[in-house]
Amino acid sequence: MKEMETRLAKLAKGGDRRAFAELVELYKDKIYHLAYRMLHNAQEAEDVVQETFLKLYANLHRFDESQKFSTWIYRIGTNLCIDRLRKRKANYSLDADVSEGDGNDWHTMLASDGRTPEEELLLSETQRLIRRAIDALPEKYRSAVILRYLHDLSLQEIGEILDMPVTTVKTRVHRGREYLRRRLEKESLL
Amino acid sequence: MNCKEAIPLMHDYLDGELKAAQMALLKEHLLACLACRKHFQQLERAGALLGAMPRVAAPDSLTDRIMQSLPAPPKRSAWKTWIRRHPAATAAAVFMAVMLSSFATMWSSDNELTVKGSDLDQVVIRGNTVYVPPGSTVKGNLIVENGKIQVDGNIEGNLVVIDGSYVLASTAKISGQVTKINQAFEWLWYKMNDFWSRLSR
Repeated sequence: MKEMETRLAKLAKGGDRRAFAELVELYKDKIYHLAYRMLHNAQEAEDVVQETFLKLYANLHRFDESQKFSTWIYRIGTNLCIDRLRKRKANYSLDADVSEGDGNDWHTMLASDGRTPEEELLLSETQRLIRRAIDALPEKYRSAVILRYLHDLSLQEIGEILDMPVTTVKTRVHRGREYLRRRLEKESLL
Repeated sequence: MNCKEAIPLMHDYLDGELKAAQMALLKEHLLACLACRKHFQQLERAGALLGAMPRVAAPDSLTDRIMQSLPAPPKRSAWKTWIRRHPAATAAAVFMAVMLSSFATMWSSDNELTVKGSDLDQVVIRGNTVYVPPGSTVKGNLIVENGKIQVDGNIEGNLVVIDGSYVLASTAKISGQVTKINQAFEWLWYKMNDFWSRLSR
């Protein structure tokens, strides 16, 4: 798998558009999944996927074959999501909880507007509660937890994606997990 | 091991980072401590619930949209490739182009009446007509461009008329040849002959 991506990236670097299209096919769902879970907004998730590949394309000449392709693309995607979360924060200071105890802020309410992927319409009640718990995770834990649990990545790899020491990733995953545990326990899901 | 020590080990275990020796210690503690066992099960279950979230897939049309939004590849145009393959032909073509364009500018700039000769004192010019009056004698060649010439007198040499016309009176005497050049090609030919003859001189 890894070799194939590297080969495709090499071909794409040489100007092969079909190779690039194959990379898009291989990774668009992964990046979409990441962006949708991070941002909880279908339109924004699509935009992030598109921007990720545009950025990747523009930087293909810098692709280093010794580097893992998936790390590279996840880093671009994650950074775009984090940028968007920060912009949201800057645009509206809506971080205050709408109603106490619920942990819902305006982001969650805004985000749940608009189009929804098909898979989301079929969520069970439990899954809805988990989704809200993810949305409520503080931003710095959110990326680490999503990469760890929804993308099954190792702490080492998450460290490379987020460009931080593994010890920091570890702390974030641990705290994020404790946060979720408390929240889901409160929902009587555990 | 106390509970405070056990909790980070639980997380390490869940991240696949716990070494065998510590695992044994953790296991021992969990068997003994109900609260920690519960804590561990909750962490594990929270992770499992998270991992079981359905994967959302991007719309099918997204690949096409992405591919269409990519900037156009820096494509080499056909003639550039041709140039790369045929350097000698390219050099020849460039040379021809420069030659032709210089001729073309020479040709198009010659819209005015030009009279060339070694003995122009004998010539009268009115408007765009050149007269060689009766009784006068032009010694040497006479070249008229973009104009008319009327010869009533004598020319002791050749007469060349380029893009113009000539009238020879019955009194006219021309010792050399009369040449009329009208078309650009002939003109070009003439110029080139002139050029080469001048070079060879």
